[in-house]
Amino acid sequence: MRLRQTLRIARWEVTKGASSLDRRTALALVVSLLVLGAVAPMVASQGATPNDGLYRVGVTQDSQYYGPVREERSLRAVDPTAGTRVCRDVELLVDGPRVTYCDTEKGRAALAALRSAVRAYNDQLMAKEPDQAAAFPVRVSLEYVEQAGPSAQVGGSSDAATGGSASSTAGSGGNASGTGDGAGGDGGSGTAADGAQASGASGPLPATGGLFGSEGQTGSPAAITPPFPLQSLLLAFAFLLPLNVVTQAYGSSVIDERIDRRGELLLVSPASTGDVVAGKTLPYLLGTLLVVAGVAAVMGGGPVTVLAIAPVAVLFLATSFVAGMFARSFKELTFVTVTGSVLIMTYAFVPAIFTNVHPIAAISPLSLVVKDLTGAPIGAGEFAVATLPMTLAAGVLFALGTGVYREEDMFAQRSPPAKAVDALAAHLRRPRDAALWSALFIPFVLVAELLAIALLFVLPVAVSLPLLLAVVAVVEELAKSLHVYAGFARGRFDTRLRPALLVGAFSGVGFFVGEKLGLVVQLVGLPNLELGRAAFSTSTASTPVVAATLLLAPLALHVVTASISAYGARLSRRHYLAALLVAAGVHFAYNLTVVTTLV
Amino acid sequence: MIRVEGLRKEYGDFVAVAGSSFAVETGEVFGIVGPNGAGKTTTLKMLAGLVEPTAGAAVVNGFAATDDEMRATLGFLPEESPLYEEMTAHSYLQFFADLYDVPREVATARITDALDRLDLEHRDRALGNLSKGMKRKVAIARSLVNDPAVLVYDEPASGLDPLTTNYVMEFTRELAARGKTVVFSAHNLYHVEDVCDRVAIMTDGEIVARGTLPEIREAHGETTYHAYTTVELEESVAVNGHFETVVGDMDAVDDVRRLAADAGGELVDIRTTESSLEEIFLDVAGTG
Repeated sequence: MRLRQTLRIARWEVTKGASSLDRRTALALVVSLLVLGAVAPMVASQGATPNDGLYRVGVTQDSQYYGPVREERSLRAVDPTAGTRVCRDVELLVDGPRVTYCDTEKGRAALAALRSAVRAYNDQLMAKEPDQAAAFPVRVSLEYVEQAGPSAQVGGSSDAATGGSASSTAGSGGNASGTGDGAGGDGGSGTAADGAQASGASGPLPATGGLFGSEGQTGSPAAITPPFPLQSLLLAFAFLLPLNVVTQAYGSSVIDERIDRRGELLLVSPASTGDVVAGKTLPYLLGTLLVVAGVAAVMGGGPVTVLAIAPVAVLFLATSFVAGMFARSFKELTFVTVTGSVLIMTYAFVPAIFTNVHPIAAISPLSLVVKDLTGAPIGAGEFAVATLPMTLAAGVLFALGTGVYREEDMFAQRSPPAKAVDALAAHLRRPRDAALWSALFIPFVLVAELLAIALLFVLPVAVSLPLLLAVVAVVEELAKSLHVYAGFARGRFDTRLRPALLVGAFSGVGFFVGEKLGLVVQLVGLPNLELGRAAFSTSTASTPVVAATLLLAPLALHVVTASISAYGARLSRRHYLAALLVAAGVHFAYNLTVVTTLV
Repeated sequence: MIRVEGLRKEYGDFVAVAGSSFAVETGEVFGIVGPNGAGKTTTLKMLAGLVEPTAGAAVVNGFAATDDEMRATLGFLPEESPLYEEMTAHSYLQFFADLYDVPREVATARITDALDRLDLEHRDRALGNLSKGMKRKVAIARSLVNDPAVLVYDEPASGLDPLTTNYVMEFTRELAARGKTVVFSAHNLYHVEDVCDRVAIMTDGEIVARGTLPEIREAHGETTYHAYTTVELEESVAVNGHFETVVGDMDAVDDVRRLAADAGGELVDIRTTESSLEEIFLDVAGTG
């Protein structure tokens, strides 16, 4: 790949994109951005207040209600006169201790707002009292402690979280569990304690004075706010929506090359496929990173936030690229990119809901964002598990898309499965390439299995475990055999029995090696989750013999099952599917045996 | 300059090109003709490195057609003119010149020269607003920005009006005169006959005839004898006061002479005509 070519194509892509906008549209966009830029900081600092002064309250300045009315933004104090009438002139009229309201929906809402304002006003006054014990006879302190173990979470058992039982697993993911709102019916915390302030990452979200509010977690019951970071997640979600806009534009640009064979001449130029793809992608990558940095700046996030979201952005682009290469029309492109976006957002968003609540959150980059915004510490392993699968998956998707960035696939109305086979076969030359691609599919396996965990972990273990093991077996066997089938289907591999079995063996070994490299999950405490332990087989061995068996047994499994699939793949698609089913069955039986006897 | 050996392309069960072999020398214009689906475009795309052969090999200007380096020495013109229509002719050509690492000054001179030679107007208008003929000229100019030694043109005059077509054909001849090696395909056999030094006729993915036009005529064409008599014979037609009978060999001419004498007339003239490329093509391609 040559940098000069890449940059030239990138510059051309920007020029082309810009010139495809007419002046009026460009002007409208600039104006919109300027308005947005001007309004956003104001809204961020003051909040959106469409109900300012919504309800008129007839109240004199010497009334005891005047203070609450003045403090509440939805209420507007109106100096009453003798002719002031309820409903016509005001929604509420204060006359000494009496409050008259208009018996309409708006009047009743105004009354509720006044009640709330009075309550808040009183709390403020009480907070200023020198004798706080007299002001707040009941005082609550929340202390957040770690859970005793995974069973309490997953199984919904009656085991309550017990204080101070820090997990011995390395990493900080486990520290995040154990709030009073934990999933799975864990109600063990949230009790009144002795006033000790929670601290560190295992405590509640620290008061930052930023987006997460400034209330402490010690005070009157009314002052205690739940730790569930819904607001933060909604704001973090804001990262992903703008990415959709950029990736849609990128996908359109990719498919645009395929319409009327426009991209054909780039293919006969000296620019390599890598130059072209990198050059076309670069402006959009920079665009997404700018968007992420902008949103991060508005939210108060730092470089960690940007680095955490960057893999999501790259995966969005990679999905869009593959969609652009595979889609046969803009309609198909929209369908595929929307489906891809939903899957990525599900993967990123759903686990992040449990940030500081459940270890499952460790798989999501958004959890890192939440932690960065709250100032919680983030370990290197934790960062790796949240970002590496997405980064590697994006890399593999780009490689696959580049595999079909050629005349025969770009401009022909080939079916997506046929293109997928082409994409997989494009990088296969020798039998040992099967090993490399099996290893490269590990990120997808991780993402798929983590997603399965994220979706299944709320079910009872008795149900979720077999389901997960089945999913794991199918996913892993597909990862080991799809490219092998593609290699046979496109004549890359010798279809005779022995060479075919050799390809299968290479695939199994490659997968085994990749899987072991992928054990980074162990660094972050994900195996604290029983489902995670089942998925990633992280049991400890009692003797060296058992240890050796535990090491070699998966190798043997992967080699055998991959060879079974390869045996079928060399013959035909129907034979491949049948062999794949057998391989998945063997794999499932193995997993079940290991989990039920060893874990 | 170009060597093709056993070039074959399969799409699943369909054989698009079934093992073509030919060679093209420097400065030669080599035409490939054949009906739709004969494999002409696939052959040219394999020469341009756009399509990977299933078997066989093509060497262009000393490089395997599949090598990235080869593309720098080649000018390819596809059948359609897929342009980036929001760009102007000049910016479009400059973009490709950059991709070919042509220095700016050289590129500017080359682009101006090409556009002048092609008599292209509206150089600063968006390509989308140009006529089809103008777009084709821009596409041809693009194929020249890297000053390639080899030009592969797929139907260069496709869809153009007669005036522009003649212009393009003359330009192709001029390129050959400047030392370029040109391989092109065409449906219009008159153009091939007019411009090409050598020709290959393809049908069903195979080259069924190849060589210079005289060679092809000798191998695949036929001489027709036109015998003119003073009396009307069976199957003769009246032409300029005589009666013309068309036959395939001299024995048949002798028969005509005898029949004319029997009828009280005589044989007054004999003329011969050779098969045109079109007739040979129709005969060889089996569509005549």
